[in-house]
Amino acid sequence: MLSALRQATLLIALAFLPAIGQALYLRDQVSWDSRDRASEKVDVDLAQSWGPSAMWVDARPDNEFESDHVPGAIPLNEDRWNELLPPFLAQWTPEKKIVVYCSTQSCNLATEVARRLREEAKLPNDIRVLEGGWEAWLKKRK
Amino acid sequence: MKTLRPILALTLSIFLCATARAELKWEQTTLELHPAVGDKQAIGHFKYQNVGKTPIHFKSVKSSCGCTAAQSQKEQVPPGDKGEITATFNIGDRTGTQVKTVTVETDDAPQPVTLLTLKAVLPEMLTINPAFIFWKAGEETTPKIINVKAGKDFPAKGVKVVSSSPEFSTEVEPVKGGGEWKIKVQPKDTSHATSGTLTITPEVTSGQPRLFYANVSITGAPPAQPPPGAATTPAPSAKP
Repeated sequence: MLSALRQATLLIALAFLPAIGQALYLRDQVSWDSRDRASEKVDVDLAQSWGPSAMWVDARPDNEFESDHVPGAIPLNEDRWNELLPPFLAQWTPEKKIVVYCSTQSCNLATEVARRLREEAKLPNDIRVLEGGWEAWLKKRK
Repeated sequence: MKTLRPILALTLSIFLCATARAELKWEQTTLELHPAVGDKQAIGHFKYQNVGKTPIHFKSVKSSCGCTAAQSQKEQVPPGDKGEITATFNIGDRTGTQVKTVTVETDDAPQPVTLLTLKAVLPEMLTINPAFIFWKAGEETTPKIINVKAGKDFPAKGVKVVSSSPEFSTEVEPVKGGGEWKIKVQPKDTSHATSGTLTITPEVTSGQPRLFYANVSITGAPPAQPPPGAATTPAPSAKP
């Protein structure tokens, strides 16, 4: 029994070695935390329940926005940030919540747009990234 | 210890088999690029070689976001052949350090999926803080400050500011020590909602000057004023 336990411990230790090595080697490249904190996300149901007290921001590339988007969403992507920010701000009010979304194809675009709205524009709003993005919204629409 | 030996031997043989069968060898799976001021794209070349004995087929090459396009030169890589995956990152109006990934899927059994990472360190130019200021309708027309700082990759001697709206006046004040400026922005009045863009042009010694932007706004409607002559609610009397 003791021998089996010793073997199991040794095997676990062996399995950990390459993992530790890789973690040390890639320590600057691996983010251990999700870039979005839970408090910065919102699911589709809750976001939809906010109704007109929320502004929806589409962070996807122009062609994806033109193809289809959440009704009333304002396009704001980093490809044309300087051009798209003024029309967004013209509709902006400090009281509204802001829901930023992208698609699973366009990865962290919503996170980046939300970050720039918080850190660069210093908007005082409650700014959230939509969990599951455009695809999650599509599922709920069906 | 005797019983441990077969287990260790099995573990080692699995490890050695996996290593021996790995056929597509990448020169680098992580690239760091430093595009220059004014560059519109950053292009990374991920080079590989088929060091195995059988051809390898690319099943898919997908980038992590719409701003990065990735393509392989060929669909099939014969044994011994070399090639590369080109990842093109469109800089657009992005700032800071950007990390994008490309997922390569092949029929190389030991490692069918490889994640390539493209890190683009964009040049530090002007930092504008905050990039947006606003007044609420009816608020005092007190000036607000936008701080501008030249990055180490962008030696600017000064900045010029032009407002797109005559509703906002601007004044640039250099900060002692150089490389920093304060833009004082003041609205003429805050009785109605309006917005504008400040175009910030850095004075540079060489090359075409790049334009930067900050946004200003007066939001919402002012508090409702009773029409002239309308009955007003009497203010609560002050306590003696």
